[in-house]
Amino acid sequence: MGYLEELLVKEGLSLVGKRVSRPDALDKVLGRPLFTADKLTRGMLWAKIVRSKYPHAIIKRIDKGKALGVPGVLTVLTAEDIPGENQIGYAIPDQPLLAMDKVRFVGEPVAVVVAENEEAAEKGAELVEIEYESLPAVFDPLEALKPVAPRIHESGNIATTTIIRKGDVEKGFREADVIVENTYKTQRQEHAYLETETVIAVPEINKVTILACMQSPWLIRRMVAKVLGYKQSKVRVIELPAGGAFGGKDDMIPMIAPIAALAAVKTGKPVFLMFKRDETFEASNKRHPSIIRYKSGATKDGKLVAVEIEIIYETGAYANRGPFVLWRATAHAAGPYEVPNVKVDGKLVYTNRVFSGSFRGFGDPQIHFAAESQMDELAAKLGMDPVEFRLKNILKPGLTTTCGQVVDQSVGVEEALRKLAEKINWEKRKREIEEYNRESKRKLKGIGVACAYHGISTSRGAPDWSAAAVIINEDGTITYKGGICRLGQGSLIGHAKIVAEILGVPLSYIQIEGPDTDAIPEARPTHGSRGLMTGGTAAADAASKLRRNIVRVASEMLECKTEDIEIKDALIYVKPDPSRNIPFSEAAKELYVRGYETAAYGFYRAPKRFFDPKTGLGVAYGVYVYIVNIAEVEVDTWTGQVKVERVHTAADVGKAIDPDLIEQQFHGAIAQGLGLTLTEDIVFSDGKILNNNYTDYVIPTVKDRVEVPTVVLVEQPYKGAAFGAKGVAEAALIPTPPAITNAIRHATGIRFKELPVTPEKVYFALKKRRGEKS
Amino acid sequence: MKLIPPYRYLRPKNLQEAVEQLGRYGEEAKILAGGTDLIPMIRDCLITPKTMIDISFLDELRYIREEGDMIKIGALATHSEILKSPLINGKTGVLAKAEKVLGATQIRNRGTIGGNLCNASPAADTAPPLMVLNAKLKAISVEGERIIPIEEFFTGPRKNALKPNEILVEVQVSPEPEKSGSSFIKLGRRRALTLSVVSTAALIVMDGVKCRDARIALGAVAPTPVRAKETEKLLINKELNGEVISSAAEKVVEEINPITDVRGSAEYRREMSKVLTKRCLLEALESVKR
Amino acid sequence: MNETGNLKIKFTLNGKPIEYMVKPNWTLLDLLRKELSVLSPKEGCSRGDCGACTVLLNGKPVNSCLVLAPQIDGKEIVTVEGLIEDKEFKALKETFIEKGAVQCGFCTPGIIVSAVALLREKGNPTVQDIEEALEGNLCRCTGYIRIIEAVKQAAEKLQKTS
Ligand SMILES: Cc1cc2nc3c(=O)[nH]c(=O)nc-3n(C[C@H](O)[C@H](O)[C@H](O)COP(=O)(O)OP(=O)(O)OC[C@H]3O[C@@H](n4cnc5c(N)ncnc54)[C@H](O)[C@@H]3O)c2cc1C
Ligand code: FES
Ligand code: FES
Repeated sequence: MGYLEELLVKEGLSLVGKRVSRPDALDKVLGRPLFTADKLTRGMLWAKIVRSKYPHAIIKRIDKGKALGVPGVLTVLTAEDIPGENQIGYAIPDQPLLAMDKVRFVGEPVAVVVAENEEAAEKGAELVEIEYESLPAVFDPLEALKPVAPRIHESGNIATTTIIRKGDVEKGFREADVIVENTYKTQRQEHAYLETETVIAVPEINKVTILACMQSPWLIRRMVAKVLGYKQSKVRVIELPAGGAFGGKDDMIPMIAPIAALAAVKTGKPVFLMFKRDETFEASNKRHPSIIRYKSGATKDGKLVAVEIEIIYETGAYANRGPFVLWRATAHAAGPYEVPNVKVDGKLVYTNRVFSGSFRGFGDPQIHFAAESQMDELAAKLGMDPVEFRLKNILKPGLTTTCGQVVDQSVGVEEALRKLAEKINWEKRKREIEEYNRESKRKLKGIGVACAYHGISTSRGAPDWSAAAVIINEDGTITYKGGICRLGQGSLIGHAKIVAEILGVPLSYIQIEGPDTDAIPEARPTHGSRGLMTGGTAAADAASKLRRNIVRVASEMLECKTEDIEIKDALIYVKPDPSRNIPFSEAAKELYVRGYETAAYGFYRAPKRFFDPKTGLGVAYGVYVYIVNIAEVEVDTWTGQVKVERVHTAADVGKAIDPDLIEQQFHGAIAQGLGLTLTEDIVFSDGKILNNNYTDYVIPTVKDRVEVPTVVLVEQPYKGAAFGAKGVAEAALIPTPPAITNAIRHATGIRFKELPVTPEKVYFALKKRRGEKS
Repeated sequence: MKLIPPYRYLRPKNLQEAVEQLGRYGEEAKILAGGTDLIPMIRDCLITPKTMIDISFLDELRYIREEGDMIKIGALATHSEILKSPLINGKTGVLAKAEKVLGATQIRNRGTIGGNLCNASPAADTAPPLMVLNAKLKAISVEGERIIPIEEFFTGPRKNALKPNEILVEVQVSPEPEKSGSSFIKLGRRRALTLSVVSTAALIVMDGVKCRDARIALGAVAPTPVRAKETEKLLINKELNGEVISSAAEKVVEEINPITDVRGSAEYRREMSKVLTKRCLLEALESVKR
Repeated sequence: MNETGNLKIKFTLNGKPIEYMVKPNWTLLDLLRKELSVLSPKEGCSRGDCGACTVLLNGKPVNSCLVLAPQIDGKEIVTVEGLIEDKEFKALKETFIEKGAVQCGFCTPGIIVSAVALLREKGNPTVQDIEEALEGNLCRCTGYIRIIEAVKQAAEKLQKTS
């Protein structure tokens, strides 16, 4: 039996599946210096980025003279100072580190001023003179698609396209008794983590070390090496805990660490680079705005027969992760249902606005907003209950996804939906609400459901793997070196529980260390909800290797067969006679004395995925996490304000390594979904962001919080990961917007197809309908 | 967003000295109270004061007291102090209601009533309640004292009637009259820590079923906070009921001049002015009965 | 004040008297973090919107990014570093950990400071009281649910022991 099978059937688990209090919480409560900005020391130089004020312009001339004259300014760096490649494009090489001949959005980095202190850096940045020749700009993706539109990149304004051709949609629609067609739009969402992007670069002889909050240490290493013209071994990346990341730091730190590194190498001194809040708003990646035309057909007995979908995702000035985001959306376009005939056409479109990129859900919230709105509209047209209609089409083992992938295991969406609907008494609740509304004048209540699925790990069949290292120290303590970053999600805590479970020691024995590219092999980024599943499996691999050594040494010490060794609570004993035992620490010491290996690397390799570029069909993801949200809302018809009273949630998580950590992720994801649905939106004027602060970019406060009274965890194990666990970090966000808008539809009868659903929109829609009625 | 540039820092020992310093530096100086408006404005490069006169140490301007038939609030009284004051809660409930939803605890602990008024934001939350209380503002300069009725105080967005050498020292209000009721409603973009999209204060004085006096003021719907006098006229000497109030509230749109910005459209603000005025009047009426 | 415009101020920081030469244009947050290496207050926005920089000024929570350094002359400043032995803090520490009210932790010190001030003022706060005390502290990770629970539970703990 391989170690994964062993773990799946392991009995008497003492940590896995149990709630533990977070070992990282104490330092955070005490406010100990953990974060990158806390590591700023005297003597570090400050780097300040000089940014484009134009949405689209040619750079005619850059004059560093005045800036260099500012006392304290050491150097001003521009594209010409880059020793390696001036290229940081992720999917497509379209994005320079520092703009060369052209700028494509307001906020694009053009130069960097390096100075002895913040004041001088800022002053210098004001004095770098850049002469531009303004070009016509395009801000709307539909405008950008027109042949007359200004060309943002030489290749044109379409960064990439995607397709799915499954079955025959025309035939499908002919079979349909009801057809619903709508266009949905979603907005640009900002991550709004409390800690802005921050990086420290420390030069050494022919080497540079990066310390930062991050999600992708090895990508940072690759980018820094590329920009500096270094070999990868000459760049060391050390991860520090992040004050929130949500995808933003996956993209951004690899784009700014090379700037800090360049400054450090050029000056020979450590450099500190930190975005101010307005820079984060103006120059960091955002969730892709979308325009989705969605046509769905079903038979009168409630079977989905066809969907035809056109997806436009606006990538802004650069493609960045866009091709992957669009690909993911395309592969999930029909929702967690079997639809025999699917046609999807996706376009990723450039505009002269800040680039889009990774954000919790990675393209799935937008497409699910459309798909799950359609499901309710179909149900309404069919006169069917939304839950009942979904259950008729829901994915089950053996059925196929949007892209024709047969899902064979860990497909717990039906169970999740049934259990949640039952637990909250969906039917009854719905009737109660309808009764309430008949009496109520001012406030209307509503309840709505939405389902979602989300493939774990990387998109487009990109290879995926992970790595980790475990060291058994001579005193029996254990150092766990994870490859997954600490964003607050607690992934490494999950890994540590796995390691402790396998080695039979309490969690307190494990010292958790974040990634360091000089300490472990590449573990790939912390995104795609892959942290726990891939990283945890690598951790399990390493721990299982060491367990074999511990067992062997213990069997020698206790003079018994290896099969008879059991380890629990750091006590190693002989199963038939537990009085024959030794403490874990003694065995640990003996490992060293007897020359056993006391450290191990662990690896995880994702199953192969593939797709046919001509049809888009194939195996998109190794496994999916499934999630169901039910939202209850109250609409104030006087003001249009929507209060989300509660969101109930259920998910198939494979195996809950820690139910509490999962619940924490759900809470946070739902809160972000709430903002996405009701208030958050980046507003521009001529390509410049107007609400570049928390005053006018409105995220939920404590008084806006949503209660999450019901959490149902379904555990249909995934055999490809340690203990069967799947990732959950993004999941609960995805069905939040449609669950809320479906509830608003239930309350008011009005379908909102554009996010955010602001009080204004609700108020005027209600007013319009009153007008129509009277 | 920029660092705060260097400036000359002056800390007067008493009001007299503050007045003298302001007299000397006038235009180039800014009074610094709680700083909650001033610091973000400096960081946004909206203003760059050469001199700051820090009056935050002048405890003589930090009081809330009753004198005769007047309640006097020192310009440096913080929003928290006002919110917690039994005097304010007991006698000018409309102001207390506004203070409760102004900013957040940290802001209320620092921000002062003087700063809120002098900053003269159309959305200043203490303005509508002070307008329906017919507040009088006392200002001092080297030339002497003067009283400015609050209605004359706001002259434009972020503009007030103070001369460059004047300091606002006191806000004076009469208690809400007998048989009166009042309310304040704020519509923001979320449930806390939010600037007003529209705010409304109302105070009505009843004589049996008849309305003897009505005062309505709105925030964030014009270049300054505004009194809605024409709307008030539709209520005075009327028997108040839902219908009278509803139809009067419609009038309020004629007295405002809202703009469209990131916080809301002019159209929505117009609609909400009506809705809030109506609700506010109904709540005020309700509170008389109690 | 000297010719450079710098001035010497005296204040107590976490119970210790301090004399320090400050520039008038420093904020209290700059003074704490950059000059005095008091790192629990965090910089999240520099304009009063997020509450990550919350400290106690004469016992009241304020945004240290909106206080200018010279304004604390003669005042008492307390940060998490100075609350470690405080009974309200100890209760909150326990319940924040037990309840899992901490994710990334960047907002946590500011929230704890606000919560300490609340618990000192109100022994038995209602959920509304807690909301009011924390409304100036943004958290992007937790959705606030556990934070409310943790503060509530800390209050109950303190009630029991007193
Ligand atoms: C996050 C945040 C949220 C906020 N929320 C709200 C809100 O919901 N509602 C609201 O109304 N406001 C809000 N404000 C604005 C602000 O807090 C208030 O207006 C506050 O009352 C300002 O008072 P202050 O003492 O801080 O003024 P300061 O910033 O010190 O001064 C403001 C202006 O008034 C001048 N000034 C101050 N005192 C005097 C005086 N006595 N004489 C002459 N001039 C003087 C100053 O020179 C300056 O121009 C918010 C601010 C922030 C940062
Ligand atoms: S940093 Fe002070 S409130 Fe955000
Ligand atoms: S825990 Fe991350 S912001 Fe609150």
